[in-house]
Amino acid sequence: VAATVVGVFLVAGCLWIFVTDLLLYALVEDQAIIARIETAKGGAFVMLAALLLYVVTSRSAARLAHAYATISAVLDSIGDGVLLLGRDRSISYANPAAVRMLRARSPSDLVGVGAPEFSRRYRVSYPDGHIVPPDRYVSQRVFDTGGVLNYKAILHPPGAPEVVISSTGAAVRSPDDASVASVVSVMHDITSTENLDRLRDGLFAATAHAVKTPVAVIKSATQVLAAGGSDPRRSIVTIERQCARIERLVENMLVLSRFRSSTLQLYPVLLALAPIVEAAVGEAARLAPDRDIRVEIDAGPRVYADGERLTMVLRNVMHGAIRSSCAQAPVTARLVSTRDEARIGVRYRPRLPLDHRENGVPGAVTDYDDVAVGQYVTSLIVQAHGGTLSEQSDDGHVTVWVHLPVAPENAT
Amino acid sequence: MTDGHPDVLVVEDDPDLLEIVQLMLRLSGYPVRGAANGKEALQAIEQRKPAVVLLDMLMPVMDGWECARELRARYGDTVPIVVVTAAEHARARASEIGDVADVLAKPFEMDDLIRVVERYAVKSDVSSRPD
Repeated sequence: VAATVVGVFLVAGCLWIFVTDLLLYALVEDQAIIARIETAKGGAFVMLAALLLYVVTSRSAARLAHAYATISAVLDSIGDGVLLLGRDRSISYANPAAVRMLRARSPSDLVGVGAPEFSRRYRVSYPDGHIVPPDRYVSQRVFDTGGVLNYKAILHPPGAPEVVISSTGAAVRSPDDASVASVVSVMHDITSTENLDRLRDGLFAATAHAVKTPVAVIKSATQVLAAGGSDPRRSIVTIERQCARIERLVENMLVLSRFRSSTLQLYPVLLALAPIVEAAVGEAARLAPDRDIRVEIDAGPRVYADGERLTMVLRNVMHGAIRSSCAQAPVTARLVSTRDEARIGVRYRPRLPLDHRENGVPGAVTDYDDVAVGQYVTSLIVQAHGGTLSEQSDDGHVTVWVHLPVAPENAT
Repeated sequence: MTDGHPDVLVVEDDPDLLEIVQLMLRLSGYPVRGAANGKEALQAIEQRKPAVVLLDMLMPVMDGWECARELRARYGDTVPIVVVTAAEHARARASEIGDVADVLAKPFEMDDLIRVVERYAVKSDVSSRPD
């Protein structure tokens, strides 16, 4: 652009001088008048040049202002934190996302901050927990290497949760001496992605851990059986109970992973609840022959439900009740119904004080325990059927209620 | 009965595993008691000091770490603790509670269980085999 402007100016200037001189000397003979006209011509040339300079400069300035406004709008609106570092390697600009990400009050809190101060404020660490030395930040290294550098790091803003970032540093070279004049550092927040990965890893760990106890029981029961040290029927039931426990855990984990990936499909059909409840109670009683397990069917409601998933719900609730209850006290499953709602309740006497019960919060899969996973999956399946889970405590007993909407009487 | 010998205290919240470990030890002739969590274990130890405690780590009410700390505070090193855990890196995790006698990783072999217990406990004269 600059060469074009200069070229046009040179050609136009030369043409102006040549053509006007030609005309002047052809039309005027008086030397005094020629001198005056040449002075006026020179003045006119300067004025035209100034006008041209004004037009070119103002158009360039307008374009520059537009480009600046566009870049500012982009920087203000993007979710990634952007820092600009000057020759002194300290922050000279921070966009609003960077201010939020770094828990600063305003951009001025960050302007002038160098790597050592940044390290003190945010304890930047690698994902393995080791602190990143300030001179190893990509925004610092790129001053020496040029080009673009990237790494994953964790920021620890004071009084706020840690932020996992993918940080990129890009060098901007000076047009004069090609040295790195500034660095643009972009911080992409990947905390939620990382948390999802951690959660998935945690679930794998929970499954692996939860499987170990039933496997230990099966292994030990088999060894005792082989040593002839126990009633074979009792050992077989114990082994069967642990196999059912592993099967239930695997099913629950499968459903959980499908819920997380939004790929779980339900196949609801019109179902009579009583046979499903009776079957779940029968299975629980067979696997725990020492326990007093009862069923009370007070109604025969029908619901739209996925029979397979509903059976999982009842197995989980029965298992949770048996695991959490006193061995001497009965576990009672009850089916009741109103016009709009079917309710399946499982009542038991907890073996632990109420404030010490395991996994009291359905939904928090934090314990390495198959009951916790089962409770969480149960709540998800019930909600997916338009129902709810509730818990009632009275007289030292706990009743877990599964509420499901009843199908209309004329439903087919 | 213990025939005067201190018994083995098994602390495990899973009722099936608690039952089967007690059965294994009885079969091998060791007097044994069970507790479902750390709190019950401390109560049982208060009544009678065992020869060794087989301690699960993840339990409700009072977990293995808290129970071990309490045990150390009350009885010092006089009650050997064998950590029984399904946690990864069982030995490293067990070392978090200080000086433990041994570590058994779940699932374990009956022979390993007996080998650990026989270092600390003495068999009853009369084997109390279950019915």
